[in-house]
Amino acid sequence: MKKQCYFSQQNIKHIDYKDTEILKKFVNPHGRMIARKRTGISAKYQRQLATAIKRARFMGLLPFVAR
Amino acid sequence: MNDIISDDRQAVYEIGYLLVSSVPEEKVSAEVEAVRAIITGVGSSVIAEEAPHKQQLAYTMRRKTVAGSYEKYDTAYFGWIKFEVGSDKIEAVKKAVELHPTVLRALLLSTVRENTYLGKRAQAIAAEFNAKEIIPDAVVADAKEVVAAPATIEEMDKSIDAMVKEA
Repeated sequence: MKKQCYFSQQNIKHIDYKDTEILKKFVNPHGRMIARKRTGISAKYQRQLATAIKRARFMGLLPFVAR
Repeated sequence: MNDIISDDRQAVYEIGYLLVSSVPEEKVSAEVEAVRAIITGVGSSVIAEEAPHKQQLAYTMRRKTVAGSYEKYDTAYFGWIKFEVGSDKIEAVKKAVELHPTVLRALLLSTVRENTYLGKRAQAIAAEFNAKEIIPDAVVADAKEVVAAPATIEEMDKSIDAMVKEA
């Protein structure tokens, strides 16, 4: 079955770097971003997500590396 | 035509900033006012903001002091402010905020007027997301095969016999 984009489902139009609770769902235990192949997110939101994660890392809200 | 080329168009920006943890709790509001004054001083209008709250940083941040040594920070006050200003003034605002003595780090972004921050709603969405974790299709397929495999010894013997006959 084809996976639906998570952000489209939740009607989230802009991914904010401050919403770390959501961003954490898309990084693995090492703090690395999960590939689009596994997340099933549309290309548009995966790009937004990547930018948001990088911003959150810069501000110390998410780790660059963990464990 | 000139309007399009001119560099003073109003645009919406957001500055996220970290205040050093050495600032006492009661003086944080004064520091916020100072940052706010930098932003409003160039004639911008504040759209939304969140007061800084102390939080643990994901990694230790270093900042070079005037003396040349480094200060290390594991905690900081994180706050943000969304405002509208002419695009010709934003560079000056960015530099002024970054050079403010109690600002550890600042992030400027171009954003939209509407609210993008989910806040508490994000927690509810994230909790819901927990229930249906991301599972790669390949792993799901393997799990099905394992369930379909015979469980008892007799069934296993039968299936092995069948496989031998096939061979």
